[in-house]
Amino acid sequence: MRWIKELFLYLVSFIMLAPFVWLIIASFKTNRELFAEPFGLPENWMFDNYIAVMTRHPVTTYFLNSVIVSVVSTLLALLLATLASYIFTYTFRWRSYWQLLLVGGILVPTNAFMVPYYFIVKWIGFYDSLFGIALVYAGISLPLSVLIIKNYMNTIPPELSEAAFIDGAGVHRTFTRIILPLSCPGVVTASIFLMVTAWNELMYANLLTQSEGTRTLQVAIRFFLTTFQANYPQAFAAMILAIVPSIVIYALLSEKIIGGLTAGAVK
Amino acid sequence: MIAKRHIVLYLMPAVIFTLLFFVFPLIFAGYISLQQWNGINEMVYAGLDNFKLVFQDPVFIKAVINTLLWVAGAVLLHIPFGLLLALLLARQPRGWKVFRVLFVLPNVISTTAIAFLWYFVLHVNLGLVNNILKLMGLGALARPWLADLKTALFAHQLPFIIYAGLTMVVFLTRISAIPAELNEAAKIEGATNWQKDWYITIPLVKDAVLINIILNLAFCLRMFEYPLLMTGGGPANETVNLGLYMFKEMIIANRYGVSMAAGLMTIAVGAVVTGTTLALSCIMDRRNGI
Repeated sequence: MRWIKELFLYLVSFIMLAPFVWLIIASFKTNRELFAEPFGLPENWMFDNYIAVMTRHPVTTYFLNSVIVSVVSTLLALLLATLASYIFTYTFRWRSYWQLLLVGGILVPTNAFMVPYYFIVKWIGFYDSLFGIALVYAGISLPLSVLIIKNYMNTIPPELSEAAFIDGAGVHRTFTRIILPLSCPGVVTASIFLMVTAWNELMYANLLTQSEGTRTLQVAIRFFLTTFQANYPQAFAAMILAIVPSIVIYALLSEKIIGGLTAGAVK
Repeated sequence: MIAKRHIVLYLMPAVIFTLLFFVFPLIFAGYISLQQWNGINEMVYAGLDNFKLVFQDPVFIKAVINTLLWVAGAVLLHIPFGLLLALLLARQPRGWKVFRVLFVLPNVISTTAIAFLWYFVLHVNLGLVNNILKLMGLGALARPWLADLKTALFAHQLPFIIYAGLTMVVFLTRISAIPAELNEAAKIEGATNWQKDWYITIPLVKDAVLINIILNLAFCLRMFEYPLLMTGGGPANETVNLGLYMFKEMIIANRYGVSMAAGLMTIAVGAVVTGTTLALSCIMDRRNGI
């Protein structure tokens, strides 16, 4: 009985991961080798495909664009969400309605706002700029970041801020000295979630940019499909260059990332 | 108690963003859906014409059905598969931590990349699937999976169904919160592993099922990359879903009003399916006397 279960787990791993292995091997082949023997190992392991991609396409620019968009949108959403979550630890009039307003967006499928987002970004003058994309990502992810951070702040004992109040700390001081340092784990969780979603988003990155200089990696992957129509191994190499950063970071921080991705769900 | 100016100071930035990215877009989308507009010329008031148009458009109907089939794929295949993996890993077999990390890996890679990868996995000549079939002597089954009317829909959903790592982790987190005494008691009573799963674990992870349905529902309603990159909505609009329909109406047909009429319908479909799920879970809870 036990070996059937283990076999099943190995089989599932194989089905999930074989495509990636196949892609890596194929990226070292020539086009002719690939068509002649899709499964065979390349005759000699050559980096020509990778060199060709790196010289013909500004892969580093795409990569940096993705980094900038993810970091800026994450910082922006974190700033707005921590400020709002902090004030929700106090009681004031209509607090639950304000919470509902800020968190309710979770249930909205935001790709229904294609046209409005396109024009909002155009009107405020950030069309075809990295900041425009970051702004939209921060807006889209705000409800979930508020939810994650607010839930975390709720677990901090209120006695701590009461003690700070008695010692004479004002609202700002309590925030910067007590609540913010203590909610670090919650903020980290939210930022992992924000980074991963921002890094992987395609539609708005595609819709809100036009020129090659503002392409993120995901938009670039989309163009690889059409540009390399005749030379698949090169397309594979481009693709691997695009996914390696995610895999490396995941390999280093897998536990934290798994925790961050499921944080919105567990509460 | 807290001064009003502090509330305003801390709350306003987030409220402004919410107004800009949720409240205003909803109103604006509603307004555009009543106009005939190509994004450049003057808007012309069209009343409910855009809605009439989408409801008479067989492609839109197909898109709604396909979006619901994405949800069905999530509920009937993706989530049960994730639960099965979670149940197997919850018994902590040899190397379960490695399996857990490996199963979640595809969820960290962008859907764009996965779509691109599976486009080639299912490719007619090069594809992994067809070549494995040929190796096993089943070459007759090989076909252009993504271009065949009969298989395109299922084939382009396949990566989503298989990559259930995140769903699995949500279940695992819930399972690890089940008190060990329950399983020990069952063990003393002589229950087999499968009986323990069926009578103890599965009833106790019901709220995780609900969470997974809601999470995957959001994913399915946002789904855009797989149809766009793997099939382009084809063959013959067989795989068009609401996300792609809106995108095509906006970018290719330049019918912004029609696009937003479809957008509002997407929000409505989401609201209806979420509402139904929540209502069903309430009814089931009441039946079980919880």
